[in-house]
Amino acid sequence: MIVTPSGLAETLLWGVANGCIYILLATGLNLIFGVMKLVNFAHGQLLMVGAFIAYETTTITGLNPYMSILVAMGSVALIGIGLEKFAFRKVRGTEKLNEIFISLGLIYVFQNLATLLWVKNYNIRIPSPLEGLSLSLGGVSINYDRILAMVIVLIILIGLVFLTRKTKIGLAMRATSQKSDASMLMGINVGKVYFITFAVGAALAGAAGALYGILFQFNPAIGALPTIKAFAIIIIGGLGSIPGAVIGGLLYGIAENTAAYLLGGIWQDAIAFALLIAVLVIRPTGLFGEKGE
Amino acid sequence: MNKRILGAIIVVIIVAAAFVALGQFNVFAPAPSAEARNIKVGIVAGMLTVEGQDINRAAQLAIDEINAQGGIWVEEWHTKVNLELVLVDTVDDAAASTTGPVTRAVTDQQVDILIGGATTGGTLSGQIPAISNRVPFIITGASLDLVTRRGSLPEGNPLRINDTEGMSYMFHYCTTITDYSKTVTHFLADAVKPKLDSTYSFDSARKLRLAVIHRGDGYGRGVKDITASIIAQDNLPIEVVATAEYAPSSTTYQSQLISIKGSNPDAVYIAGFTADTAEIIKEGINDVGLKSLYIAVEICEDPQFYTLLGATGANQILESKIATQWQGNTWYLPQVGTYVENYKAKFNGITPGMLGADTYDAVYITKNAIERAGTVNKTNVRDALETTDMPQSLLILENGRITFSTGTNYHEILPKTFIEQLIWNAGANELKPFVVYPDTMPGISSFKQQDFALPADYAPGSP
Repeated sequence: MIVTPSGLAETLLWGVANGCIYILLATGLNLIFGVMKLVNFAHGQLLMVGAFIAYETTTITGLNPYMSILVAMGSVALIGIGLEKFAFRKVRGTEKLNEIFISLGLIYVFQNLATLLWVKNYNIRIPSPLEGLSLSLGGVSINYDRILAMVIVLIILIGLVFLTRKTKIGLAMRATSQKSDASMLMGINVGKVYFITFAVGAALAGAAGALYGILFQFNPAIGALPTIKAFAIIIIGGLGSIPGAVIGGLLYGIAENTAAYLLGGIWQDAIAFALLIAVLVIRPTGLFGEKGE
Repeated sequence: MNKRILGAIIVVIIVAAAFVALGQFNVFAPAPSAEARNIKVGIVAGMLTVEGQDINRAAQLAIDEINAQGGIWVEEWHTKVNLELVLVDTVDDAAASTTGPVTRAVTDQQVDILIGGATTGGTLSGQIPAISNRVPFIITGASLDLVTRRGSLPEGNPLRINDTEGMSYMFHYCTTITDYSKTVTHFLADAVKPKLDSTYSFDSARKLRLAVIHRGDGYGRGVKDITASIIAQDNLPIEVVATAEYAPSSTTYQSQLISIKGSNPDAVYIAGFTADTAEIIKEGINDVGLKSLYIAVEICEDPQFYTLLGATGANQILESKIATQWQGNTWYLPQVGTYVENYKAKFNGITPGMLGADTYDAVYITKNAIERAGTVNKTNVRDALETTDMPQSLLILENGRITFSTGTNYHEILPKTFIEQLIWNAGANELKPFVVYPDTMPGISSFKQQDFALPADYAPGSP
């Protein structure tokens, strides 16, 4: 391995950009977990579906891939609504295992359906008009697609903070996340809160998928590893904490890229998960852990 | 008297003619055996992969061609029978996905022979049931020669197979990492280095600076090791200045490419599969700014590779063993042209890939072996495969004939591979290959189509 200061700086910068995708995915997962106490192992499959929807939108309609993010968010939100209504709502209040097995089953349903639909488009990337264009700053370069991805993630996160802090439904979501029974007694329609929370969480996964598809190759099987990484990130950041997911995502992206640069690609995932273990040993509630219900 | 003799002669002639005529219509031939049945050919292909789909299509094409010509003559059944394709779907061809389908094929579906297997990992796992059940297996992928040499591994190696008899049913009709790494390194020494020296006025003693980026599996590490060993063994003017490994599950390779960029290479040799190789070239050129000469290996000889690369692939290099996208008025081998045209006609215009070609040949090798064996008895078919001696078909072979070796290079062939340069046609919006190395090949007097040229925005390594 040849390590140069500019190479290291570039690796860190790109790590931040990659971390942004994880932030979106982990934030959605954390939102669903924080409000609904639902562990959705199929969250990464929503990312994968988002990537394919954005791809189809771009290639069929000729729409700018960055505009197709909105289509992916809307479509995956609708899928999320369907999942909440016809799958998870049916087992709410029963054993946690039921929810877990539904989400595990959904992994295969989504993966196999995507394989059937897109087997001819295996390992594709959403064509970007910015492909090949980079910004160079003192020997450190980063492509415009990644810069734009960081800006988009920032805008989405600002929107999410606005939603949760400045709107009635956001207040209801926060209240439900702290005490769902008390919220119900205070007149909050918890069912509606769950419904909206799942849609927002899924939309975030859809956005993550569209950005993933612009930056990386994807196929029907890509959902599994990002889900595990998103879980690691929310554990690092603290279960239920949105700022924690942001910091965790950035740390994870940087750790992953730096490990590949300094130690070799085969260490990429191992080092990132070592970070998870280290955080848990030092601070078991995660960096921004909140005590909930 | 004369009339009597003449009458006798006429009678003899009539009787003789009758015998000939009856013989012509097989009146005296034994009746077809009641045991006659279709011959089951298990095609081992991961249908989730482009390589697996290509293998399956090529096998279907060869089998349909053979059946359309009446099938295969099996002496012990006194009749011709058809080949029947039994798809052994190994999904993604990963080791964990392979053993089950192959086991079902050899035990439940009772295939007579197995053909296929794209990856080394999948094949090492999938060949176990074939070895145990003594089913001939012509492996048409898996570029590690290990698949037929497991019996020679040292005691204690977990991949070693002690069942010598079982291993004798394994045949490898495919190029190995040694075959193509030899082509790549010699191309670098013979064509790229002189071009660099003359273009950039480098000292002739300067060695070509090569970086190797490879998958973190047996195949990728094998290519890295064998490349270094060929350079040393053949005393080539090449220095490996950087190596970088990536996890097979990776979808981005920036960190490794940034590291390679720091070593200032003249060329980057990629030991990857179709999708990762295309992504590495794109990320290297577009994202990391490593404006080098990238060399992809033959598994990327697939239409998807050209599509994924697009204009970014202009003037980059692809080592290959069959030019399915040959650009020329006449095909370099007529049979390759026929294969490509028939394949396209049968499968809605899809251009064949590389691993399908090996499989297509292997089906004909099977036909040849069974007809010579006169039986579908697996041991006899194994013996017949060992003595195969046919003219080369789609793959170019060192002596122009298909034969399987014995001894150290156990049950392998002697393939020849070549180098293509990818040229971007902006008008047609297409990337197309042109042979740049070597000049000639066995059975092909004029093979090279154009001289090697450096990419337009190429930046050499440090002097």
